[in-house]
Amino acid sequence: MMREPVSEVAEKLVGEALRRGFEEAAAIVVRRESTMVKFANSEVSVVQRWSSLTVGLYLAKGGRILTTEVHPTGLEQVGALIDRALAAAEQAKPSFIYAPLPEPERVEPLPGLVDSAVVEAMADPSPLAELMLSSASGAERVAGALTLSYTERGVATSKGAKLEEASTGLEAYLRAFVGESSGQWAHGSRRLSRDAIRRVAETAVQLAEMAKGRPVDVEPGAYDVVLSPMVVGNLVNLVGMMASAMSVLMGTSIFARVEPGAKVASEKLSIYDDPRNPELLGSASFDDEGLPTSSKPVIEGGVLRTLLHNSKTAAKFGARSTGNAGLLFPRAWALRVAPGDAKLEEMVAEVKRGLIITNNWYTRLQNYVEGIFSTIARDAAFYVERGEVKHPVTRVRIADRLPKLLSSVEMVGRDLYDVSWWEVSPAVRAPYLLARGIGISRPTV
Amino acid sequence: MQEDLLQRAVDLALQLGASYAEARYHKHSGASLVARNGEMIGYSESVREGVAVRVVAGGALGFSATSLLTWEGVRGAVEGAVKLAKAHARFMRRPIEFAEARLGRARYEAVAAKPFDSLDIGGKLALLSEVWDGVRSSVKEAKVLTVTARYSEDVEEKAVVNSDGAYVVSRVPRLTVSYNFVLAHPQKGTIQRTETFGGSGGLEQLEKWRVPEEAAGEAARLENVLLNGIAPPRGPVDVVVGSEIVGLIVHESCGHPSEADRIWGREAAQAGMSFIKPGMIGERIGGRHATVIDDPTIPGSYGFYLYDDEGVPARPRYLYREGVINEHLHNRWTAKLWGTSSNAAARAMDHNSEPIIRMANTYLAPGDHTFEELLEGIKLGVYMRSYMEWNIDDIRWGQRYVGLECYLIENGELTKPVRNPVLEVTTRSFYSSIDAAGREVRFEAGMCGKGEPSQGVPVWFGGPDVRLRGIPLGVVA
Repeated sequence: MMREPVSEVAEKLVGEALRRGFEEAAAIVVRRESTMVKFANSEVSVVQRWSSLTVGLYLAKGGRILTTEVHPTGLEQVGALIDRALAAAEQAKPSFIYAPLPEPERVEPLPGLVDSAVVEAMADPSPLAELMLSSASGAERVAGALTLSYTERGVATSKGAKLEEASTGLEAYLRAFVGESSGQWAHGSRRLSRDAIRRVAETAVQLAEMAKGRPVDVEPGAYDVVLSPMVVGNLVNLVGMMASAMSVLMGTSIFARVEPGAKVASEKLSIYDDPRNPELLGSASFDDEGLPTSSKPVIEGGVLRTLLHNSKTAAKFGARSTGNAGLLFPRAWALRVAPGDAKLEEMVAEVKRGLIITNNWYTRLQNYVEGIFSTIARDAAFYVERGEVKHPVTRVRIADRLPKLLSSVEMVGRDLYDVSWWEVSPAVRAPYLLARGIGISRPTV
Repeated sequence: MQEDLLQRAVDLALQLGASYAEARYHKHSGASLVARNGEMIGYSESVREGVAVRVVAGGALGFSATSLLTWEGVRGAVEGAVKLAKAHARFMRRPIEFAEARLGRARYEAVAAKPFDSLDIGGKLALLSEVWDGVRSSVKEAKVLTVTARYSEDVEEKAVVNSDGAYVVSRVPRLTVSYNFVLAHPQKGTIQRTETFGGSGGLEQLEKWRVPEEAAGEAARLENVLLNGIAPPRGPVDVVVGSEIVGLIVHESCGHPSEADRIWGREAAQAGMSFIKPGMIGERIGGRHATVIDDPTIPGSYGFYLYDDEGVPARPRYLYREGVINEHLHNRWTAKLWGTSSNAAARAMDHNSEPIIRMANTYLAPGDHTFEELLEGIKLGVYMRSYMEWNIDDIRWGQRYVGLECYLIENGELTKPVRNPVLEVTTRSFYSSIDAAGREVRFEAGMCGKGEPSQGVPVWFGGPDVRLRGIPLGVVA
């Protein structure tokens, strides 16, 4: 079980579930090796390595849905868990989202998900750690993380799907400090690129350098904002989560009261879920129900094109699965924002009274249905007047409504960045954006 | 059996050249149930177990985790951790060292008075259906868009062995029940509430929590806020901050900035830093009501433990005392940097996680006022009882809490409901503005996130209701 191909393990577990009395089963088996170097104060604070096998099971009987997640020590242990689930099924009620598992469809393999350079670097990532630290030599100190991973993911279902895919991943992010100012940048990809790692470090240092000098308080109010790909990635993740049909059912989505076809954003804004693009860190050829994934618009030209479905939510909404299972909770695989044609300088030139916000964190909502939220700028942020960058600003919040922010996008950058870090996970391919008249707040006492 | 494996792992790490080694067997076994509008979505069982190995070799820290519980698996983890640490030793300008500590050799257990299996799944589902019934029946004019409710039980079992002599075996069961509801009105919009109940122990906690009754009560009161809520008054007013928000504030603006690893900069690129810098013990941050305690040993608490994951015995930590920065949260590494002793703040979420400095149960010390006495003498003010949106900047200074269930205070009495008032303050302005505190401490349960990869650990945060003088409130536009 520990060494067998993951799709074989998945198939065996499905067989086991049927043999023990379930009517339907799907198994997702993930074997993962990963290594992370964490930096702080320009030192290595810890080097971590993981080796894991995770089994997720979907089991159904009489419309009752049971799921399990286990780090199994052996097949017998999973068998015992299936028996417990079967006993639970006797007491459970039919699920209101039950629908049969889908019939398998042809899945076109997705080449290019594995970069052997990532696998090789995992044994000793210290040369990459060296590269990251030396590329940030202009900073007084840096903190960040570099993660390398190799994953095998297998899915089998009682409808006969049996699939397996391997992939690699690289995530690198760094926060650089120069005096009291800081800058942060991030990158995520399936492939190892020393240039990309170097750019992360250099961009972080460059932003910290630009933000030197005494930051000034800005008055709360409405401002034009230029949002960096780091910020856009964070907010697009929120849109992706809300586009899951399950979020709509659970009352945690701004799309709870609109139908596909409705205008939900500026016509300048298009957001795609693009799992068939192997450059993106979240790329995958099949979902957790064994259906092929597909690349599709979520929002196109400001119009909501589709929610993200698995076969269960699709049945509930009278739609087709979009290949985004999650056994219970559909999710986006690999979000990207379509590029515009603006250069960053052109966006800044268009700002009358506004801010450039290069990084954010701690996005929280007062009300998911209305999208009332705030998020806090961190690292380099600048005040801009009549197209001219005036000075760095102290920590501010974007405090507004997400639908309003989406509708206020006026310019979209032409350059795209693959961003992945603590606050942008899963990774997003994003440009700079300019939005007009966005609420900015900060403590005044 | 596991303990033998752990001791063998520690011995091997030392043989391979580690100056410190620690091995932890860590298992979570649990079940959860989710329902929407009283109807079941699914039932889930999970078992997550494995061994974590942490070593210091060549002055660098290495960590490795495996879910293979054979000697082969654990040996691989030990070799990997030592090898990786040594390979990165050259980056260490200041080698990792641990402060001396008296380490536990003990077993302990939190005991469920009513075990999880004393109620069958049908009974647990009935509880979630009662939440739906409670909300639905207490709302009169508004429409109930959704009520989702979740029941979750978990048993955390650990064995920690390290090369400095720790040997601690523990078992802590935890229960969590949460709900989320959305009420809608065609003219007034929507109002949304999420609430979580959590503690260590068993099903006996349900009798105390009375979740369906709480949900029903909240729904009725929030419908009133939705239908009749007015904007908060402009200009500075007195604000009575309810214990739910006080607990969150002390967690965010005292607990987090008091984490010594954060002060040192270890979390700078993730959960951020701290306005507290090394050498600030003894500096004033607020008035005499600003005493904040973090205590892992509270029986029944969500963040309960008696020994931390480095084997150090737990005790209450007085982080701020009467307005003065008094003590930080330490593990053995930061204790060495500060020239002090660890106060047992090292916690790991699971076997895939390194132990890092965490809070347990953080609360503001009570005062002597009744709720009525807090209101007395307020001509015009706002009482903020609950919240949804909040956040704080990465040095834990500027923070924002948006009130959910809130009321106008006029001449010492609660009058009209107030909708979405915003309390946006700095750490200093909050702790300096408290002029009275209630006599009753109440706790909320939550999962606190920190670390890379992010670790969520159960915590309580609490306090009494407090009164702030002269605070300008904002409002959600």
